[in-house]
Amino acid sequence: MKPKKIFTEHESVILGGGFILFLLVFWESVPLWYTLPKGMALFFTTPSKIAAAFYELLRDGTIEKHFYVSAVAFLAGLGLSIIIGLPLGLALGRFRILEDLLDPYITAANATPRIVLLPLLILWFGIGIWSKILIVFAGAVFPLLINTYIGVKNINRVLVNVVRSFGANEWQLMKIVVLPNSVPYIIAGLRLAIGRAILGVVVGEFFGASEGLGFMIAAAATNYKVDVVFVGVGIFMALSVILTLAVKQLESRLANWRPETAKTF
Amino acid sequence: MRLRRYFSEHRRFWLGIASLVLFVCAWQFVLTYLIPVNPFFFTKPSLIAEAFKEEIQGARLWHDLAVSSRAFFWGFGAAVLVGIPVGLVMGWRRRVEYSLDPFLTALYASPLVALAPLFIIVFGVGVAGKAALVFLLSVFPFVFNTCAGVKSTELLLINVIRSFGGTEKDLYLKVILPSTLPYIIAGARIAIGRGLVGIIVGEFYAASEGIGFAISQAGDTYRLPEMFVGIIILALIAVALTELMRKLELILAPWRSGDEVR
Repeated sequence: MKPKKIFTEHESVILGGGFILFLLVFWESVPLWYTLPKGMALFFTTPSKIAAAFYELLRDGTIEKHFYVSAVAFLAGLGLSIIIGLPLGLALGRFRILEDLLDPYITAANATPRIVLLPLLILWFGIGIWSKILIVFAGAVFPLLINTYIGVKNINRVLVNVVRSFGANEWQLMKIVVLPNSVPYIIAGLRLAIGRAILGVVVGEFFGASEGLGFMIAAAATNYKVDVVFVGVGIFMALSVILTLAVKQLESRLANWRPETAKTF
Repeated sequence: MRLRRYFSEHRRFWLGIASLVLFVCAWQFVLTYLIPVNPFFFTKPSLIAEAFKEEIQGARLWHDLAVSSRAFFWGFGAAVLVGIPVGLVMGWRRRVEYSLDPFLTALYASPLVALAPLFIIVFGVGVAGKAALVFLLSVFPFVFNTCAGVKSTELLLINVIRSFGGTEKDLYLKVILPSTLPYIIAGARIAIGRGLVGIIVGEFYAASEGIGFAISQAGDTYRLPEMFVGIIILALIAVALTELMRKLELILAPWRSGDEVR
């Protein structure tokens, strides 16, 4: 009865991992039992070919080169959005007049996919690092800003009043009450922002770049190198999952008192 | 006094309007009197308004919108039809959730637009490729929100149905689906945003018609007013759809209103 006990204890891991493994094996086995029509065969690849392509690209330094370019755009854009989004979110939460004045822009910009600004940014800044950084920034700043704002808004009035009564000024209030209270919200915003930032890198490099992982994908697709496309997609996938999980870990450590809500990316 | 009360009640609305008007006026003023416009790189509200009028009266804009919305609705409809049942089963059957969750979470977290070039070369530049992209991007919010909704269904209601001899079908249709509905609407709101990304990226990448194509083409040919018209129309549609979902959410689940992470 021992294997059964192991199974019930690790059921989620075994089933989840098993399903992914099953899909990979199934995918790999398709050419064995089904001959694709010639047109389709051009677009088809298998995990083993993707792995081979990955190894090849890793060895000749292609991935390293493109990865470096993408990572710079990602970090610069995300950093810029933190530098601007956080203070602005705090200010919006504290000052009602600012909130009322900026509300239409924030609502509109948050609902609209910011990707649509890409042609404009390319027009202004040309094809290169700046239009990429700015599209990453445009995508990532709103989740951060809005979550920070909501965090500030949800502060317990009593705490604010206590600190005020003891003579704290706005700056001290910010440091003692507002900022610590909004940290869980900010981290949740950061998780969303990372997803948007990666999206910005991908799309920015599709259209406005001559290097980077997104460019690698787009160029490979036009040359029908499907395995290279999947290498790129796989790298982006792995990065997103790792970063999201890392921030989630942080989130659950900081905010284990908050009720679980549905996943939002 | 009455005026003052009216203002304080609708403060947010009027201040928002005022700030919009001020912004547009300042933009117009600066580019008319202070800095002469270089029409290749910048534009001003009066020119955008002119282009707006022209586009609204012309046929191209409507054609582009029709093309884009057709692709959007096919993809989105498929996402609803697939996402909700999968989410229902995932929420109800623990082992199904265990099996599917890691795989789907990985897909949800990753930027699937990276597959856009592949989709376009496989499905072509027409409706099919864009619809497939929209489907892929918008199906996951439905799956995960439906799943979360099912899991939050009150156990008591389920037990009542069971005690009165309800079948599995009754359980799904009379208890689980209604109590999951608010979650599904919330998912739909997220899915709309992601679906729009799919449409735009698909049309930027390769298309010969559609709103995304119109915007990128206007950009490529330095017709800035037309480009801004496209962006503004897209923003209006996005806001309208999102607000509609928010309203629906409030109607269906008034207790869940307010401070949810957007």
